[in-house]
Amino acid sequence: MRTRWLIPALAVSLALTAAACGGSSDSGDDAAEGAAATATGPGAGSKKVGFIFVGPKDDYGYNQAAYAGSQAVKKHYPDMEVLTAENVPEDDNATRVMEKMIAEGAKIIFATSYGHLDPGLKVAESHPDVVVVAQGNFIATAIPKNAGTYFGTVYEPVFLAGIAAGKATKSNKLGYVYAFPIPQTIANINAFQLGAASVNPAVQTYVVNTSSWCDPAKQAEAAKSLFAQGIDVITQHQDCTATITKAAEEAGKMVVGYHADASVLAPKGWVAGSEWAWADMYIDIVKTAREGKFTGSPYNGNFRVGYKDGKNPFVQSKFGTMVDAATKKLIEDQKAKISKDGSPFVGPVLAQDGSTMFKSGETPDYAIVEKLNVKFVKGVVGDLPKS
Amino acid sequence: MNIVAEVLTGGIRGGTSILYGALGETVSERAGVVNLGTEGSMLAGALAGYAVAAETGQPWFGVLAGAVAGGLLALVHAYLVLSRGANQLATGLVVLFLGLGLTSLFGVGYVQAIAPTFSPVAIPGLSDIAFIGPVFFEQDPLVYLSYFFVPLLSWLLFRSRWGVLLRASGERSEVLVAHGHRVGPIQYAAVVGGGMLAGLGGVHLSTAYTKAWFENMAVGRGFVAVAVVMFASRRPIRVAGGAYLFGAALALSPALQARGVGINQFALDAAPYVVTLLVLIAFGRRQLRDVPEGLSKVFDAQPTR
Amino acid sequence: MTSVGSETNPAASGPAALHRWLSWRSACVFGRAMRRPVLALGAAMAIFAALMLVKGVNPFAAYRDMFISTFTTTTSLGGIAVRATPLILAGLAVAVPARAGLINVGGEGQLIMGGVAAMGVSLALGGALHGPGALVLMAVAAAAAGALWSGLAALLRLKGGISEAVTTLLLNYIALDFMFFLIYERWKDPQGSGQPATRALDKADRLGLLGGSRVHLGLLIALVAVVVVHLVFQTTSWGFRLRVVGGNPEAARRAGLKVGSLLLTAMLVGGALGGLGGFAQLAGAEFKLRSGFVLGYGYVAYLASWLAGHKPIGVLLSCLLLSGIVIGGDSLQLDSGLPGASVNVLMALLLLGVFGFAKKREAAR
Repeated sequence: MRTRWLIPALAVSLALTAAACGGSSDSGDDAAEGAAATATGPGAGSKKVGFIFVGPKDDYGYNQAAYAGSQAVKKHYPDMEVLTAENVPEDDNATRVMEKMIAEGAKIIFATSYGHLDPGLKVAESHPDVVVVAQGNFIATAIPKNAGTYFGTVYEPVFLAGIAAGKATKSNKLGYVYAFPIPQTIANINAFQLGAASVNPAVQTYVVNTSSWCDPAKQAEAAKSLFAQGIDVITQHQDCTATITKAAEEAGKMVVGYHADASVLAPKGWVAGSEWAWADMYIDIVKTAREGKFTGSPYNGNFRVGYKDGKNPFVQSKFGTMVDAATKKLIEDQKAKISKDGSPFVGPVLAQDGSTMFKSGETPDYAIVEKLNVKFVKGVVGDLPKS
Repeated sequence: MNIVAEVLTGGIRGGTSILYGALGETVSERAGVVNLGTEGSMLAGALAGYAVAAETGQPWFGVLAGAVAGGLLALVHAYLVLSRGANQLATGLVVLFLGLGLTSLFGVGYVQAIAPTFSPVAIPGLSDIAFIGPVFFEQDPLVYLSYFFVPLLSWLLFRSRWGVLLRASGERSEVLVAHGHRVGPIQYAAVVGGGMLAGLGGVHLSTAYTKAWFENMAVGRGFVAVAVVMFASRRPIRVAGGAYLFGAALALSPALQARGVGINQFALDAAPYVVTLLVLIAFGRRQLRDVPEGLSKVFDAQPTR
Repeated sequence: MTSVGSETNPAASGPAALHRWLSWRSACVFGRAMRRPVLALGAAMAIFAALMLVKGVNPFAAYRDMFISTFTTTTSLGGIAVRATPLILAGLAVAVPARAGLINVGGEGQLIMGGVAAMGVSLALGGALHGPGALVLMAVAAAAAGALWSGLAALLRLKGGISEAVTTLLLNYIALDFMFFLIYERWKDPQGSGQPATRALDKADRLGLLGGSRVHLGLLIALVAVVVVHLVFQTTSWGFRLRVVGGNPEAARRAGLKVGSLLLTAMLVGGALGGLGGFAQLAGAEFKLRSGFVLGYGYVAYLASWLAGHKPIGVLLSCLLLSGIVIGGDSLQLDSGLPGASVNVLMALLLLGVFGFAKKREAAR
């Protein structure tokens, strides 16, 4: 009995002693960096950059792509130290991890998951000298001088992949497994259906949500349920993508990839897909911040690029064997059209309930799509979870 | 397929990992040892099964490895509880964290590995039976294996000499000692055997159900298994019913959604736990008599009546 | 598994031993007493070092970085305090019932219900009341909800004879699904980003921060709770009676103690403390209910209380220690490149070391 709590006592007292003795290291770092930095402004002269990921950095998906981007930054800036932390939950624990990166000298932080925005803004508020950029979410309020969000127009390549899926399907039923009904995902589902319907008016997209970015067992069951409804092409918006890809291959169905090229998992059923190429945007954000030019730059806002700018970080994956030359040509043409129009959502677009989502002649850009796309388009089968 | 058959099929498919874990917990609890580390054993089994299947190209080696890994983790629990007299609930949780940490440390290399996996095999004849056939007999080999374990364990626990000894070790260990038996080895065997079963549950999860290894992929199914054992008052046949009930609750939401019906998953998820509580309330007293005495030392440190 | 009740003499209990330790007078006695736990700690660190070697990480550098970055920066120390705050309260939620011999594995559910109730009050107020008044209402509701959740288990134990270890565990899952149900539908922020979460607490309805750090007033609540529980245990007749019931309920009953009401109050007080923990986490750190809210904290708190022999001061220390390990895990990841979850191995090895190498205990409860 008597010894149980002594270990904690010992450890804590050691900690307190160490804290008393070693409080100087923070200020030492600051002084060194102050001398090195010539520019001012948040993130200026940063010697370290931190990345947090919501999942493991090798998930065959979202986090792996973001990790690859962080390594590109490392390669491009050999003098910079790149700090990475995986499995950072989308709650206050993320605040702590980012704080730690900052304590280690990072003045640029990439919070790479959708739900990292709240803790990211909290960190930005308490560290005006640090740039915090969040991937994928949207700052709806006034934008702090040292924060921003960035993303690609994900629904553009998804629309193109939808064309391939619409051509490939025999049953005219497509399946979409998604995590949460966030605007980004809804836009993807809508684009997928619109793309497919553009070449196959009879096509419908059935949706199932898993309420988790990565729960393979739920994914497996969702895929099985969709196949039971006669779906023959399945796609997903999940962080980890192996389970659904393999489930499709095993069931003899076709699959459209998302986040990463998983064609090796489905040599027979792979149709098309979209994947991330973050390197250029990450490097440019780091460059802007290091030069002290972050405040007032496009990144100091809700930064989105698409085909129109020619810089969409979300790119098409390779096509599967069943996609013929005519379809590829059609997709190329559509890509050119989107690059000109600036959006695959070209009015008139009808919502699921028959009401008008986008009027004839309307071509909504990303900001509008993200704000207005809160319901499914016509042809999508399934309810959005109520809110 | 109609929705009832689909949900039942999904319930068995998704309930199988829970079933293995719950059968393991049953054996362990019958010997008087609660193991909250079941989730850890499942994770260990899931990784070891997938990794060995990937390395050897033979999924059945993965099954063996998963069972061994689950058993090894349970051995840690057995040692602390049986040889060091540690608190069962606490060490169970510690074993869970150990499993979580070890599998994430060593699992990194296998997230992208491609392993041979188990696919559904229709059993000729049986699968043609109306309704029952597709539900029970178009499953994967590890599901069929679990069909054998349920009656086998039921027989072992309640009809065999081994079962008498095992239950006695959990209920009246002093009687065993008086008859010249050693309690320790029996309890060790039960706890480790239980961990091996949980490991099999993990193997089913990774190599048959999801065909992937992913960190923390059990997401609470080991805890569900512990709840199922409470629900089923430590009887293998009822455990199977409970595991499939939980599985069906998980399968209902995607089945409805794929038919265009939205549903709040979480009201559904809570239902089995509420039912378990109600079962305990309704049959609580009767169940008390059925609880191994060794267990009541764990769950009821001091009797109040 | 022998019978219960061979509790060691009071002189060896937490505070007395602490005084002894602080005085340094009985250094030799102390040295002997510490031999096993230190051995356990050493063994855990050695095994983990071996694992790090297997993973190609230099264990000496890793331990050095971990120690320096965890214990020498105010950020990290603040992080430890923030994480420990709900843990301490949830740990006390285990410790109080444990004194009466009850097993509360329901810290997780009590934390969640506390957070849910506090958020519910904030939503119900709808901005009609802000500041300290709102915070007090939220705290009271949180404590009541935690007590309700543990009281349910206590009632089932007293009236139905169902083990509270079983029911508190089941109630954890129900609480979690209940919270998910709310944030996924009823309470989901309509202005939110689509992920299941409530709206954030108004700035005026958050617990104040201490100095310029992230440490919030919840820590103060937790520390006060530790002191109060400690004093109640040591000086009040209720605390004494709990101990008697915990030692031998049959004897307590024969001595005329109202065992039932003592068990019930112990559980209620425990649950209320857990609920307060949920309030502190919501109003001090998270500000929103979201899917990861206090996930796993209840189980860690159970281990912390157990590690401390269910002594309040010990609970405080072991919660700080276990939080320190998690913060140290950030360093393992950032400085040494190990997977984030591998810190669980270190924590588990340490606990296993303590459980396995420490003196074989008289009773496994």
